[in-house]
Amino acid sequence: MRRPRRYIAPLVVIAALVAVPAIAYAATTISMSGATASFPLLELLSAKYHQLKHGQVSFRISQGGASVGISDAAAGRVSIGNSSRPPQAGDPSGLVFYPIAKYFVCVVTNPANPVSNLTTSQVQQIFTGKVRNWSQVSGATATGPIDVYSRTSVAGVLTTFQNTLLSGSKVGSFATQEPSEGLMQNSVKKDPAGIGFLSDYFALAKGINAVGYNGTGCSVANVVGGSYPGVSDFYEVTRGPATGQNEAFIYWIQSSAVAKKIIESNWIPLGKIQPAIKTP
Amino acid sequence: MAHAEPVTPPQLSAPPRRSGRRSSVRSWRRSDQLIWLLAWLAGTGLCVAVAAIVTFLAAKGISDLNPTLLVTRPSVSLDQSHSGGFLDPLIGTLTMAVIGTLIATPIAVLSAFWVVEYGRPRWLAGIVETSIEMVAGTPDIVFAIFGLALFQLGFFAPLSFRASGGGVYGRSFIAAGIMMSLLALPLTYTATRNGLRATPRQLREASVALGKTRIATIRRVLLPNVRSDIATGATLGMGRIIGSTAIVVLLLGATLQNNSQGNVPLLGFLRGTGSTLTSYIFENSPSGEGNAPQKAYAAAFVLLLLVLALNGLVARISRVGAAGAVNAGRLSL
Amino acid sequence: MLDRLRRPWSDDRAERTLGAIACLAAIAIALMVVFVAQRAWPTFQREGLSWLGSGGNVDSQLGSMAFNTSAHPAASAYHLRAWPLIYGTLLTSGFAVIFGLAISLLTAIFVVDLAPPVLRRAMTPVIRLLASVPSVIYGLIGILVLVPFVGNDLITSGQKESVVNVIQLTGAGLLVSVAILTLMITPIMTALTIEALASVPRSWHEGAVALGLNPLRATIAVSLRAIRPAIVAATALAAARAIGEAIVIDMVSGGKAFTPKPWDGLIFIYEPLRSLASTIIDQGENLTEPAIRSSIYAFALLLMFSGFMLSVASRLIRRPLRKYELSS
Repeated sequence: MRRPRRYIAPLVVIAALVAVPAIAYAATTISMSGATASFPLLELLSAKYHQLKHGQVSFRISQGGASVGISDAAAGRVSIGNSSRPPQAGDPSGLVFYPIAKYFVCVVTNPANPVSNLTTSQVQQIFTGKVRNWSQVSGATATGPIDVYSRTSVAGVLTTFQNTLLSGSKVGSFATQEPSEGLMQNSVKKDPAGIGFLSDYFALAKGINAVGYNGTGCSVANVVGGSYPGVSDFYEVTRGPATGQNEAFIYWIQSSAVAKKIIESNWIPLGKIQPAIKTP
Repeated sequence: MAHAEPVTPPQLSAPPRRSGRRSSVRSWRRSDQLIWLLAWLAGTGLCVAVAAIVTFLAAKGISDLNPTLLVTRPSVSLDQSHSGGFLDPLIGTLTMAVIGTLIATPIAVLSAFWVVEYGRPRWLAGIVETSIEMVAGTPDIVFAIFGLALFQLGFFAPLSFRASGGGVYGRSFIAAGIMMSLLALPLTYTATRNGLRATPRQLREASVALGKTRIATIRRVLLPNVRSDIATGATLGMGRIIGSTAIVVLLLGATLQNNSQGNVPLLGFLRGTGSTLTSYIFENSPSGEGNAPQKAYAAAFVLLLLVLALNGLVARISRVGAAGAVNAGRLSL
Repeated sequence: MLDRLRRPWSDDRAERTLGAIACLAAIAIALMVVFVAQRAWPTFQREGLSWLGSGGNVDSQLGSMAFNTSAHPAASAYHLRAWPLIYGTLLTSGFAVIFGLAISLLTAIFVVDLAPPVLRRAMTPVIRLLASVPSVIYGLIGILVLVPFVGNDLITSGQKESVVNVIQLTGAGLLVSVAILTLMITPIMTALTIEALASVPRSWHEGAVALGLNPLRATIAVSLRAIRPAIVAATALAAARAIGEAIVIDMVSGGKAFTPKPWDGLIFIYEPLRSLASTIIDQGENLTEPAIRSSIYAFALLLMFSGFMLSVASRLIRRPLRKYELSS
């Protein structure tokens, strides 16, 4: 009888196709989205964690900006949101912000215009648009109109910059808004008349000039010493207290020595585990 | 009676110059001369532009391309300028082309056959034709957005993956591939339909006279006849898929490396995210964060070669096919 | 079971199956309209049609929407006046289609009539190749070659100073956008026009020449008029591609939702702008917040609707011309 034999092969294939995914689903995927400033850090941390867990936990990280990460986490679209700012009024309730590292923001200019220092009033005047020409800025070698670069409103780094280095003023609407740290870095690198602000990983890279603030250089040493003001924390945001694999990962970042070493490479570790902040 | 009186032609304003060569431009009206000049400018301008673009890309591409780039995976860091190649994007482009064409071609061919051979009721055939025309005229970005809306439904979770909070990610090779097939569909459909329309009636009549049903005629007679048209249409569709960027950026997850989802070999790859050459070029241009224009040029060069190869293939297939197929004398350049 | 599939099918069953498959395209379009409209509905519900108008800075409106992270924003959060984006789309696509049409007609005349045979045989596959080059490659050339050239060499410091309080002129703007967009759509239009022009029977042209027209005017008066439906179809196709082009415009348009003003003089062509499609791609990762999601889907609905209108319009225009048509 030839007919039964014809059924066996397709049935075996179908059974295999169904069974293998069922087995493979046992592995977890942690999805994250949010801040572009903490993206390089999370990439390194997640790669290490994936390795330590022998591939049982994989990660899917996208960006979009701190506010996007917060609202994604709140809606359950991702497991963990990455934020570069603390919670603020208007954020969804029921979220928990776990601080994982400290970072700082520098004003940056093009290397062809190596401004070494700017005072608070100079920074405020340039970014709010009261001063629009490099000739009015002492210490600048560039001439002509100032090309000001800023970030889009979802950026946590923008909030940090405005709260600390701008003392609460807002960047003027004439500035070009870049959607990510990487794009801001590109723009200032290409534009000899450009000025902007970047988190430390991007600001201290080659090919860009980090500007001192009120006489204090923008460096890790000055932040650790407490003299540089443009500082904030990176947070991992979950809906409700973190559970399961999410909790294990966040706890690993906050407590393990391996994670601390990774954070020290470009950022500032927090020392001991800081308390989490809950949104009401 | 043997010789008729020669009839003097009416006097023209300018003496007729029937020497077998075209009339000299200097004798034309001013407006015609202007158009002649503009046409020459346009033509030569286009030649110069093409030559400039191709030589520029080739020079930049060859200087930046070394064969290791083709076989190395992109490095994990944001900054692409120091290491890593574009093996993953290359695989991504080829995967997209294969998936999109595999889905689009059967649907397009069968639809074309239905519309030309059956086509009843007439209003339904009209709707199908209009829909395909509308698909042809829809911008790529609308497909990308539609894909996001569609594949983030819970029903389609197996096609990508579900986050622990319950949201469906919605971005994967399969999702992008299905949307890409919509890009290729009108091209393949039109090529097949034109091929079918150009097949002479006698072929079908002969088949019916021999007692075959319509569906058998389609399978045994018409299908082999329009094979080259189908191939042309499918290759054109493949070219369009390879060139699309918007759908890839929104629907493929834009990860530098092709990350599989889950551990099943092929299914995991298809459910995972990745990138293609087009999104790789976009990311490495100054509008993206890869910060590696040399790699962008190299990838652009490879992409151009792919497109060149596809074009050559289309030309070859349509030439060979035109010779082999029975058709009512269609002209093609 | 497989045996039953292999046996010859009856015509009825084949007709029904094939018909069902053919309807997939119609179903896809229907689904697309439904999904996009459903997601765009909140903006229409709260703003009506006034979001198409102007008022305020679209960038900051979208920015405050993205900033608003709550799951159920108040109705005021949906406030949007997207006219600058629509204007940007119309400006770039409009100019590109006009220039593209002129250049493609002239080039088609050149290739079919005026070019020496060697050049003609060489140019046709070249134009087809240009038509299939991915748009991102044109964008790459635009941003790496044209934008620095315009920004550093064409725009003077004085021009930059004159607008320094409002916008920043970096070279990425209307001029480069229109140039690259024209470069993108002209080969397609040219290829289609050449194909149509070559299918006009030679005897028509020769008849016109015999009546005393010079060859060029004969082509224009007879052949071009004969292929008017094909030209209309090619223009509609090119226009649809131009309005929907997101990536290229995103790369070279300057990314600021500013309405370039023609009365600014020469600076008009340097001013940055943003189109609907490039905004969609820019906000691609922000689609999670409800207010911005419905705004972006509203843009997509507008683009989809424009694409459909272009298809319908080209059909309507071609219908009375059909009596002159040679082949479909």
